[in-house]
Amino acid sequence: MKKGMIKATGPFERVVHWCVALSCLFLCITGMAMMYHSLNVIGTLVGGMENLKVLHNYCGIFFAVSLLFTILMWWREAGLFSFPEDMQWIMAAGGYLWKVEKMPEVGKYNPGQKMFFLAVAIFGIVMVASGLIIWFPDGYTVDTLRLMYVLHALGFVVIFAFFFVHLYLVTIGAPGSAPAMFTGWVTRGWVKTQHPKWLKEMEKDGTLIVYGEGKYRK
Amino acid sequence: MNKQLIKLIDLSRCTACRGCQVACKQWNEQPASITHNFGSYQNPPDLEWNTWTLIRFQEIEDAAGKVKWLFRKDGCMHCTDAACVRVCPTEALYHTEFGNVAINTDKCIGCKACIPACPFGVPKLNPATNRISKCDLCYTRLQANQPPACVLSCPTGAITIGDVDTMLAKANKRVKELGGDANVYGDKFVDGTHVLYVLTEKPEVYEHLPAAPKVADSILVWKDVLKPAGLIAAGAVVAGAFLHYITHGPKTPQEESTCEGGKNS
Repeated sequence: MKKGMIKATGPFERVVHWCVALSCLFLCITGMAMMYHSLNVIGTLVGGMENLKVLHNYCGIFFAVSLLFTILMWWREAGLFSFPEDMQWIMAAGGYLWKVEKMPEVGKYNPGQKMFFLAVAIFGIVMVASGLIIWFPDGYTVDTLRLMYVLHALGFVVIFAFFFVHLYLVTIGAPGSAPAMFTGWVTRGWVKTQHPKWLKEMEKDGTLIVYGEGKYRK
Repeated sequence: MNKQLIKLIDLSRCTACRGCQVACKQWNEQPASITHNFGSYQNPPDLEWNTWTLIRFQEIEDAAGKVKWLFRKDGCMHCTDAACVRVCPTEALYHTEFGNVAINTDKCIGCKACIPACPFGVPKLNPATNRISKCDLCYTRLQANQPPACVLSCPTGAITIGDVDTMLAKANKRVKELGGDANVYGDKFVDGTHVLYVLTEKPEVYEHLPAAPKVADSILVWKDVLKPAGLIAAGAVVAGAFLHYITHGPKTPQEESTCEGGKNS
């Protein structure tokens, strides 16, 4: 690790993130294999579509547990909007789409990230609930079951589209972001550009952890 | 060549002998269930994974206050626009060249999606094999140019099979003969079913028979809107991201400061 890097995430955060992310991705792929007939071929990889269905169902349980941790861990930081600056940010589309003269300073999570978090949290719960009812349909009415299939498909549409926004931004869209979820250390320049208010808050509160300083001094 | 077939069930000729019910079990090698008398000749009480056709017994009071006994041979209607085929994730349920809905049990994964999808409550799960089990209009017999077992067994000619136009004409002719509330059921919805009834009463009089069956709106939203929308939305995001990258450009940190002590120089 280079000196001067700033600690953005802890190991627990990163493990939870990857648990929910990878299980979600696996669920998307196996779910698509069942939704789109032309993708039935994916089932071959796991020895048939019935195995794929079973894997999808049990992975759903893993996802549900991971999602629970995700929500408990992040809802305070990423689940609540702070006004009026978040509204300003949204009206300006985060400065991503057109030139904006004065952007409100962003804290630990920008409103775009909050929206992604809320989409995953809310639709994740919808997916878990509808998925469990589809898996164990006994005792539910025909109308309830029909509704569950629609909700399950709707949740997929939302989460899958948001996934690509997330993927773009953490790779080439906002370079320097990805290390936050791999090593946990990001550059000061990145924090200053992406989350300046958070940097100021950490400096003020004395919670800023810099590699090469304090207990991270070599 | 149009090989589409229609099975016509003329309920005015049905005597509820249940020969069809037994013939179905015999040909399709399905065991009987142990049931308890619930005050009706109807047995078993409902369609089951091992009972693909069932004579329903129903008592109604007619306009003159007299008791009327209605019999209806229930079973798969073999819809042209079949909800079960629409929702099946693996194409295990499919239309054959005769227009009937058959099932390839090797492809079935026991997901049970077709059970709530069916407007007639036909598909049932065989819990022992975890596979859906339902009438396939004796597909193997049709392939051998033989009538389905139920048709063959019917002693009164209530169940017959033939090409679409012939059977529709026959049904309409019979309804005209019967007069009163008699009507043809099966030609007016889900693009026509491959099982046609001549009902002696209005459809709503019969138990477990929807007067206006259709592929549920929820299935249309799921399969015709959300299914393509999943790909369109994701595709639009990927295209949008690429456009953003080549027009607006990435949001790159203004300075890469990793210098000694973490301070900006």
